[in-house]
Amino acid sequence: MPKIRATAVSFLNARPLTYGLEASDRIELRLEEPSASARALEQGEVDVALLSVAAVAGTDWEIVPGIGIGADGPVTTVLLAGEQSPAIWDEVFLDTASRTSHVLSKLILDSMGVHPRFTPMPAADGLALARGTKGALVIGDRAFDVRANQVLDLAREWNHLTHKPMVFAVWAARPGVLSPEICVEFQRAAATGLGVRTEIAQAFARERGGDPERYRRYLTHRLRYGLGNFELEGLETFFARAAERGFLPPTTLRFADDRIRSRVPRRASSAGAIDAALQRGAAGERLDAGEAELLDESAALPDLLLAADARRRALHPDGVVTYIVSRNVNYTNVCSTACHFCAFYRPRGHEEAYVLSRDELAKKIEETIALGGIEVLLQGGLHPELGVEWYEDLFRWMKRDYPSINLHALSPEEIWHIARTSELALDATIDRLVAAGLDSIPGGGAEVLDDEVRRRIAPLKCSTDEWLAVMRAAHRHGLKSTATLMFGVGEEARHRVAHLTRLRELQDETGGFTAFICWPFQSANTRLAPGANSAHDYLRVNALSRLVLDNVPNFQASWVTMGGGVAQAALHGGCNDFGSVMIEENVVSAAGTTFAMDSDEVERHIRDAGFVPVRRNMQYQRLGGAGA
Amino acid sequence: MLSHLAQRALERDGLADVSEKVMAHERLTESDALRLFEANDLAAVGALANHVREERHGDLTFYNRNAHLNFTNVCVASCKFCSFARPDDRAASEGWTMSLDEAVEKVLAKRHLGITEVHSTNGLHPDLPWEYYVELPRRIRAVWPELTLTFYSAVEIHFFAEKFGKTYEQVLTELKEAGVATLPGGGAEIFAPRVRRKICDDKATAEQWLEVHRVAHRLGMKTNATMLYGTIERAEERVDHMSRLRALQDETGGFQVFIPLAFHPEHNMIGKAFPKPTGFDGLRTYAVARLFLDNFDHLKAYWVMIGERLAQTALSFGVDDLDGTVLEERIYHMAGAETPQALAEPQLHRLIRSAGRTPAERDSVYRVLRVHDGAARA
Repeated sequence: MPKIRATAVSFLNARPLTYGLEASDRIELRLEEPSASARALEQGEVDVALLSVAAVAGTDWEIVPGIGIGADGPVTTVLLAGEQSPAIWDEVFLDTASRTSHVLSKLILDSMGVHPRFTPMPAADGLALARGTKGALVIGDRAFDVRANQVLDLAREWNHLTHKPMVFAVWAARPGVLSPEICVEFQRAAATGLGVRTEIAQAFARERGGDPERYRRYLTHRLRYGLGNFELEGLETFFARAAERGFLPPTTLRFADDRIRSRVPRRASSAGAIDAALQRGAAGERLDAGEAELLDESAALPDLLLAADARRRALHPDGVVTYIVSRNVNYTNVCSTACHFCAFYRPRGHEEAYVLSRDELAKKIEETIALGGIEVLLQGGLHPELGVEWYEDLFRWMKRDYPSINLHALSPEEIWHIARTSELALDATIDRLVAAGLDSIPGGGAEVLDDEVRRRIAPLKCSTDEWLAVMRAAHRHGLKSTATLMFGVGEEARHRVAHLTRLRELQDETGGFTAFICWPFQSANTRLAPGANSAHDYLRVNALSRLVLDNVPNFQASWVTMGGGVAQAALHGGCNDFGSVMIEENVVSAAGTTFAMDSDEVERHIRDAGFVPVRRNMQYQRLGGAGA
Repeated sequence: MLSHLAQRALERDGLADVSEKVMAHERLTESDALRLFEANDLAAVGALANHVREERHGDLTFYNRNAHLNFTNVCVASCKFCSFARPDDRAASEGWTMSLDEAVEKVLAKRHLGITEVHSTNGLHPDLPWEYYVELPRRIRAVWPELTLTFYSAVEIHFFAEKFGKTYEQVLTELKEAGVATLPGGGAEIFAPRVRRKICDDKATAEQWLEVHRVAHRLGMKTNATMLYGTIERAEERVDHMSRLRALQDETGGFQVFIPLAFHPEHNMIGKAFPKPTGFDGLRTYAVARLFLDNFDHLKAYWVMIGERLAQTALSFGVDDLDGTVLEERIYHMAGAETPQALAEPQLHRLIRSAGRTPAERDSVYRVLRVHDGAARA
């Protein structure tokens, strides 16, 4: 069988895609300048080319699914540079190397209301001429050396403008060339190359000089090699805007495997991309939304478990699994929110409605202390009449009578509600609660942090932004909190991934989340139809979350909802904590979950799964003596 | 192909050689199995077992529409792990024995439910006559010939042989003529004499259990095999148990499925000393069994025993069979199982589908009756 002839540029950013082809016995690779690649493909000198995406416009070429070169933030190698602000530029010299960057420059400047004259010019000359009211486009490896007063990173600008990733290059072929096997060959080569990016960066530094670490970060943190739903949306937006402004002919993307385009599970066709994302996640590299969605939809459970387990081993290498002795006290079941998934709440005046008295609370706290408990988790419904003073009194009383007990209380929803009921600003509310004794807050009520989903399942609850705002404010006040995800309410992969990336962004900002825990919606006794209350899905979502939330230190296994055995499996799929022993948990048990364990049973489960049980406090500090 | 992540994890655990054998379809030794047990790396060992499972069966997950018949719990044996048996029929001891008419009626009453198999294991009753055991299948078959009868564990067959002065071959031949098609796999417990002496010293020995199945296979009857884990046995005794099954399977090829059974602690003599084995132990046992028992086609997780969630999880750790709809199970429920009494077929389908697998209804000898690969039913 004759070899497939392929061509690509020698830029650093292409090397992870081409590295693995050097050993291929099916594909023969040659390297050339970007503009030469498109011509070679057009004239039939090669069968496949790694092309700047603009070169695909108006052709009938087919794209290899699953892989490409893009960025969903600054890319650092596609730059407009000049001496003065771009706002006053009247001429821009376009590096002749890439048509995509030309179009992107025009779109970005256009969006800024800047309409200079564009003049093709070799990059080195352009940069030298970029003085005064003149700017220059510089792309590729040359951009590493750009020193200029004014620099616009076009990928970052694009992302700000459209909230979508930018895709710069794809493997394209004349129709009929790309068989499934050849696609897999390109995808496998990418998986191979992505696994050796450190080595590629070092080799590049030896060739060209410069800091290998900088090149490595460029390959691992700036560039995105996946071509998932998000990237495809970015690509479609790019072509649509370029066509609208007349910069490119109207373009329909054609894929060798059109199943990619119809967004159905892509298990077979993008095996290479899945493998690459898994390996990146397992190595602790940051997954972008496209990769996370790909894994959510298409990765096999055993591989997700292995990747998440690799992360757990890296973050918690000593084989300790922690747990806490804490009691969940639901101080009231009166709630005005009436979420569709909740079996716990009662309207005011209902015969089963209650607010716990001090005596009842005291009894529960004393029982907790007697059982070795160090924390009370106080949560309740959104009672329309309880203002901040009621909570202040309660907290002061608890802290005075039981100073040893950590007060882990009030989900963001409740804090938001208290602020509203008391007509106080969020910050002032939190200030007062902290002054009264609040130590940390639980992450409940997050459900799925996507308003499309929230509006459907909990229309009266706070919005995604409001939930995050409470957490941000709480973290700023020095409170630590947990983060949660309740999935299986009819949401899609993109919603779960949006939830996780929002938590990750906030964690980047505040570092206030100590741990993450997820569980599937429990369906008995509630108004939502039975969802996928599935242990399989739980283990998948938990493992995926471990990979995406690279900045959250601890993961709790949810044995309360899933049972001890599935939770043990979660310890081998990303978790390093077994949550709390069960003294009381009304909300979940009202929906029909009946698992219960005391500390002996929790420790037996941890030990049996091959770990060492150690008690902890809410800050995840290990407590001496117990459990060793 | 095993993923890079799995290969790397197995190398890290020092199991690269075992992994290579599995990939080359070479037989694992007992010490390989022991290392897999002791590795404590559920993700890696599970991934390897899942590879074998998918190589054999793809996404297909088997079940049947079945019911259980436990016609007496009166038993002369005194197995210490058992919560089901009672010493006699007196009301005070909660013993019961159905009359032949009652037992036949009980089965025939299920005719409208569309089941394909009745599975019967029972106490070793001191007084029931041989005719009872033969008449029961004969009378059911006369009315409902399509129903497959999976009747009497090897322990019961051995008991009949001793009590009625027959050879295994005579017992099995008569039962086969009466309509018994396959034997259930119960009563194997753990073959190691050390364990057997302590937990069930007055019923069929390992050799007798194996001999009953050997004879059944020779007579053309397919049978199942079980292992009771989670009492006092050690990992090497589990491996020894599986090894003996593998050897007999090499000889006869008559086993269709291996079914690890978790000890249930409630209401029996040793429950206080031995808590229920954890789900981790179950998943690990399934995975090792799938890798070690290379001549068994199927591996079953009995959902009644371990719960739906763990059974569903097991589908990614080597398991390809979830038993069936299981109407009227009593043995595990008397030992504290909190699982529902029966799963309707759509529920079973949902359980299987939400694990990313495809439900396939099978008959009692594992012929596929129908692959349910369409969209989920409402």
